[in-house]
Amino acid sequence: MKKVKGIRRARVALMATLGSAMVLAACGSTSSSTSSSASSSGGSATSGNITWWASPIAQVGIRAALVSAFEKAYPKIHVTIQSAPTNTGTNRSQLVTEISGGSTTPDVFMGDVIWPAQFGAHQLAVPLSKYLPSSYWTKFAPGLVSGASYKGQVYGSPLFEDQGFLYYRKDLLAKAGLPVPKTWQQLESEAVTLVHDHLVQYGFVWEGDSYEGLTCDFMEYLTSAGGKVVNSSYTKSVIDSAAGVKALSFMRSLITSGASPAAVTTFQEPQAMAVFDAGNAAFLRNWDYAWSNSQTPADSKVVGKVGVAPLPTFAGQSYPGYSNIGGWNLYINPHTKHLNADLTFIKWMSSTKAQYILGKTYSEIPTVESVRTALASLPSTPPPERVAATTRLIARPAGTPNYPQLSSALYTNVNAALTGSVSVSSALSAAQSQINTALSGGL
Amino acid sequence: MPDLPGKQEKLTVIAERVEAPPRPEAKLRRDSHTRRMARVGWAMSTPALVFVGLVTIFPIAFSFVLSFSNVVVSGSGFALENPTFGNYSELFHSSVWRYSLAFTIFYTVVTVLVEVVLGTMIALVVERLTKGRGLMMSLLLLPWSMITVISAELWQYIFEGTYGVLQAIFQAVGLGSPVFLGTPTSAVVAMMVADIWKTTPFVAVIVVAGLVMLPGEIFEAASVDGASGWTTFFKITLPLLRPTIAIAVLFRILQAFGLFDLPFVLTGGGPGTATTSLAILSYKVMFEDIAYGPGAAVAVSATLLVILGSLAFLKVFRSQVGREDVQ
Repeated sequence: MKKVKGIRRARVALMATLGSAMVLAACGSTSSSTSSSASSSGGSATSGNITWWASPIAQVGIRAALVSAFEKAYPKIHVTIQSAPTNTGTNRSQLVTEISGGSTTPDVFMGDVIWPAQFGAHQLAVPLSKYLPSSYWTKFAPGLVSGASYKGQVYGSPLFEDQGFLYYRKDLLAKAGLPVPKTWQQLESEAVTLVHDHLVQYGFVWEGDSYEGLTCDFMEYLTSAGGKVVNSSYTKSVIDSAAGVKALSFMRSLITSGASPAAVTTFQEPQAMAVFDAGNAAFLRNWDYAWSNSQTPADSKVVGKVGVAPLPTFAGQSYPGYSNIGGWNLYINPHTKHLNADLTFIKWMSSTKAQYILGKTYSEIPTVESVRTALASLPSTPPPERVAATTRLIARPAGTPNYPQLSSALYTNVNAALTGSVSVSSALSAAQSQINTALSGGL
Repeated sequence: MPDLPGKQEKLTVIAERVEAPPRPEAKLRRDSHTRRMARVGWAMSTPALVFVGLVTIFPIAFSFVLSFSNVVVSGSGFALENPTFGNYSELFHSSVWRYSLAFTIFYTVVTVLVEVVLGTMIALVVERLTKGRGLMMSLLLLPWSMITVISAELWQYIFEGTYGVLQAIFQAVGLGSPVFLGTPTSAVVAMMVADIWKTTPFVAVIVVAGLVMLPGEIFEAASVDGASGWTTFFKITLPLLRPTIAIAVLFRILQAFGLFDLPFVLTGGGPGTATTSLAILSYKVMFEDIAYGPGAAVAVSATLLVILGSLAFLKVFRSQVGREDVQ
């Protein structure tokens, strides 16, 4: 599979390189064709064939279910699913190569919430706000549309949301007579107690590997501590601060105190989830989809023993703490030949019907506020979606096209401090200077 | 030893015969024949050459051009704007690049050295085997024939920090529960072990081939002269093996310098940036940051360095071989 993709990528890259001059010459005025049809009432097509690039969403069958419901509503629009790699980085690399190479497919692609600035800056996605009226955007939960915008244009239509949750073992807490932790310090001491009393092998597992997921986790501690990564105009890093020290020192202390295993510095989501689902950890920080995994008997030994809560905060701050925003948007390829059908598809995906399929059948967190509220009040709705109504959210500093470099500067240094190979202060000062380089477009 | 007059005479005759100019018409015939054969040769190899040109030379040349350009990526393709040295100056100012460079060189030197020593030792044993040599050779090739990504995934099970095999062994003998991929030093060592496990057999197989080619009489002569095993090895086997080992080392340098799959699977370049090789860095800069100019500069810097390194190595090796001849 990987190899086939690799070959295709190579071929596309070759085409891209060979044809770039021609493409450049031919597309000197790209926007002319699209802007001529620009209107605020896009998405009224009734026929067409479109390709939808999407990685497998947590549960199998979800993409097909959405497409078949859409095709029922629009029988003359046919959607072909093009399966994208599950690794988000590989997924993005492939899209960038294909789209910058001039490929007309995929028409619509499902992309991470942190992509808008990078894709917007490089014109790798259609500015949707040119075609969809402002009334379209008001139905989404707060923060999602601004997160999908870059320089005043919205590039992604929010499909489903995700955020950090605290999963805990109800049975272990009950046995030890401990409450659900509301502060990070409480979480740490409870984890240490449970491990010390041999009730469980590891206390708290989370994502500490040197990769994007660590940026997510770090943002949650940093924001609770009152810190920021960059200033609001994205001109300089402010991470090397008292709050930064507090957040990172605490994360490191989780490991040194024995609340978290030393191996968390190599954990991504699947490893953390696997340890928790095997019954070997008392607490887990993970996304929405960890719930259904933990409740699937074939994958989990902790079915029925898991509770979900918002993430804690630092002592002295108001509860709950901050959850990092994840999730996926729908974007349109600027070379698409079916813009109107694409817009129709995107509009339908944010309809009540589609959002109910996502939220109710597949327990993803809907992006449309009304659906989210309606589902949150239903007792049959899975716990994370109900908890999501009470959390506070923080986005990653993805408002710069250089976000990948910025994030890499962050997670590599944070990871180095977590492993103890550098001190907290030197990690933060290295992160700060590397983030400044990233913001200025340097390597 | 005085020259035998008869032998001298014979040699002169042979030399004259060789140097005698061929008859003109024969020369003409041979020239046109050679030209025709050459044309056929070129015609037949053109498709392959075009293919090699397209998939090898063009991309390399293109990376080179990219590395000296201000590359703008947009929905309508990449545009190469004003030639610049900026990508390289960014490189030289980047602590990440400098670290990657140092790491890649260090990694290459250590793994290649260990692999060559171990590989030669294994080859000497295998070559002496009277039974089961074929079986041993195929067993040896097993790690080498395995796709690196797959063997890396298997090593992941060994090095893993919660259920890893190696950690279990350490725990069993009371050495605590180290997380091998969790600290810079141990992660680098772990990666080197995986690399050495996989590629030592490659060196061994090449050296076995070299050993088989060595003329047996020299060793008989050495044993007649009463040379010890060590003397024979250091004075005869090793010098004669130099060209073979040189080839093995050269192949290994080229491969080790392009280190990508092991860190990609095992550590993703971490902890921190401890195992970020130049190839990993180039991938990240190009395809994650969408910075094709600087990414190409990283790739070109790696290519140039490995070429220079290999040339330097060959030069040193040749001069040493030369000295052996003088002795």
